[in-house]
Amino acid sequence: MSELALIIEDDEDLANIFAEALRGVGFEVEHVADGKIAEERLISGTVPFLILLDMHLPHVSGGELLTKMKQDERFANTIMILTTADARMGEAYSDQADFVMIKPISFVQLRDLTSRLKPKNQ
Amino acid sequence: MRFLNRFLTVSSADPDDTRRSRLLNILLAGIGILSLLALAIFLAMIFFKLTTWENSGLLVIGSIITVVGMLVIYLINIFWSERIAATIFLGFLTFGFAFSDTPEQVAGGRSLFVFAIPIIMASILLAPLSSFVFSTISSIIISVIALSIDSIPNIPAIFGFFVIALVSWLSARSLEQALKELRDINVNLDKVVVERTQALAESLARERIEAGRHQAILNSIADGVIVFDKNWNAILANPAVKSMLEIPIEQVEGKNFRELIQQPGLSPRGRGLLYAMMEHETQPPSFRIEWNGRTLSVSAAQVYDMRNDTNVNIGTVAVFRDFTREAEVEKLKSTFVAIVSHELRTPLNAILGYSEMFKEAVYGPMNEKQVNMAERIMKNTTRLLGLINDLLDQAQMEAGKLTIQMGTVKPSELLEALHGLMDKTAADKNIRLTSEIDPNLPDTLNGDAARLQQILVNLVNNAIKFTDQGSIRVRLFHPDENRWGIVVSDTGTGIPQSELPHIFDTFRQVDGAATRVHGGFGLGLSIVKQLVNIMNGEIEVQSLVGEGTTFIITLPLAIPEQVVVKRS
Repeated sequence: MSELALIIEDDEDLANIFAEALRGVGFEVEHVADGKIAEERLISGTVPFLILLDMHLPHVSGGELLTKMKQDERFANTIMILTTADARMGEAYSDQADFVMIKPISFVQLRDLTSRLKPKNQ
Repeated sequence: MRFLNRFLTVSSADPDDTRRSRLLNILLAGIGILSLLALAIFLAMIFFKLTTWENSGLLVIGSIITVVGMLVIYLINIFWSERIAATIFLGFLTFGFAFSDTPEQVAGGRSLFVFAIPIIMASILLAPLSSFVFSTISSIIISVIALSIDSIPNIPAIFGFFVIALVSWLSARSLEQALKELRDINVNLDKVVVERTQALAESLARERIEAGRHQAILNSIADGVIVFDKNWNAILANPAVKSMLEIPIEQVEGKNFRELIQQPGLSPRGRGLLYAMMEHETQPPSFRIEWNGRTLSVSAAQVYDMRNDTNVNIGTVAVFRDFTREAEVEKLKSTFVAIVSHELRTPLNAILGYSEMFKEAVYGPMNEKQVNMAERIMKNTTRLLGLINDLLDQAQMEAGKLTIQMGTVKPSELLEALHGLMDKTAADKNIRLTSEIDPNLPDTLNGDAARLQQILVNLVNNAIKFTDQGSIRVRLFHPDENRWGIVVSDTGTGIPQSELPHIFDTFRQVDGAATRVHGGFGLGLSIVKQLVNIMNGEIEVQSLVGEGTTFIITLPLAIPEQVVVKRS
């Protein structure tokens, strides 16, 4: 069984590209495009192995989602990758996340990073 | 006294004539009064029988004739001619003296000396030379009297008369000369006084006109102008100040600068800037403050006393310009650029991602041409992203939002990252990118790593753009204990001397052709310069056409914690 990667990203194309990169590495991919829906999704359901979180989201910001997850024990082992176009914002949240990727995010870059993070399945 | 003065005054155009006729009047009055006294005494003596009419009748008649004569001469003097009056008076005296004694005494005795009186008087009353006329008349009279009594004319007396005439003539002449000179001096003095008064009046009038003109200019200026003396007391303010600062001019004039900046409408930051303006002699050419919701651009100029070449500071002229609208437009523009740039980046990221996926053959094998094309899409997208980043930075700087955030910076990491980003671009153009670190440079520095990286990338990018062959050398150096620096030198086309002053201008490249060949907005160097300025550093450029260009940046090792820059 492959690990679940949750992509929280409002831009359809970027989500698509990220999804391809993650699938290419072997993740099972789930996508949410809205902050509010993401918030609800995170309350129940499978705890993802990795979350790719955009900071700029409709309704509920990535920052708020991150803060909530940090307080939730279930996400203690989840790898958090923040994506943002704003380098300053990225720096501000860098201590709360495992990785911060500044947009534009390269397909290859994301694929190589997540490939290193994914446990080797026998 | 006034009456006496009028009585004695004869109006005349010639001041000498006036003086003479006045003198004559005094003499006439004196003799007339003496004669009246003599007449009174004689009449009294006859009345009291001290003498008889037979003895003193002639004296009484003489006195009456004298009084009448004086009166007649006085009238002639007043109403006709003072010269004729004086001549008659002197003739009267001379002939009077001729018959005042026995012929023997007149011709050669005790009465001779009385003739000296009209001779001396003539020089004063008529003209200096006329004393000779009267000495001649007197000589003739005494000679005729002497001959009439069969005596020899008294030659020593005649000689004496002429000596007296000579002395009188000389003294009267020098007196008249002195008086004339004195009058000339007076006339000149009067002229000078009149001229000076005229000049003073004219210059006063001119000054008033000038002042009026200056006031009119000052009143019609849309900018608020306050003039401070050297102790920063406001001595002048124009009407624009009232509408701009919303303080009545009467409340500005006379107030000290320190008091003025306590106004509640002024933002604390503005107060700080204004205070700094007062405290420091050197200052930026202008800065912006918020006052009662308005954005004002403030510039201040020291006023120096240029006289005596002493250059003493005598005050300051502060000019307030309403920048509210411009500031709003600028802010809108910056916000617009920021939003547009941000919105542009997302689709560009998508294009970049999809082309990468092509290149990586995510959906199946690609031929060489397709991979090549995907690479070209990626390259152009990256370039476009770079341009947008430059625009965004520029917009942030203009909006005053660009800040530097201090942290620790490792020089080795800076160069490592630089190579990671630029090696490929350089290699694509067959240019060697080398770097070195001064061994004396500390291992860690204070600074904004991201911004330093940006400076390095921009400079190296610029060098690659304008270098067709050779190498680009990056060096981090340590010129002294307080500073460190970055040197980026290339073997490129170089920059003509005439263009050097403009290379840091926004949206400028050395010539139009360069834009087409090398791309870019020409923002890279402008951003570098602004970043260096924010970091309190300095940048200089050396260039030789055909040989290459070297940029040298020096930065302080200690930089203030948080610096926010406002575009001046």
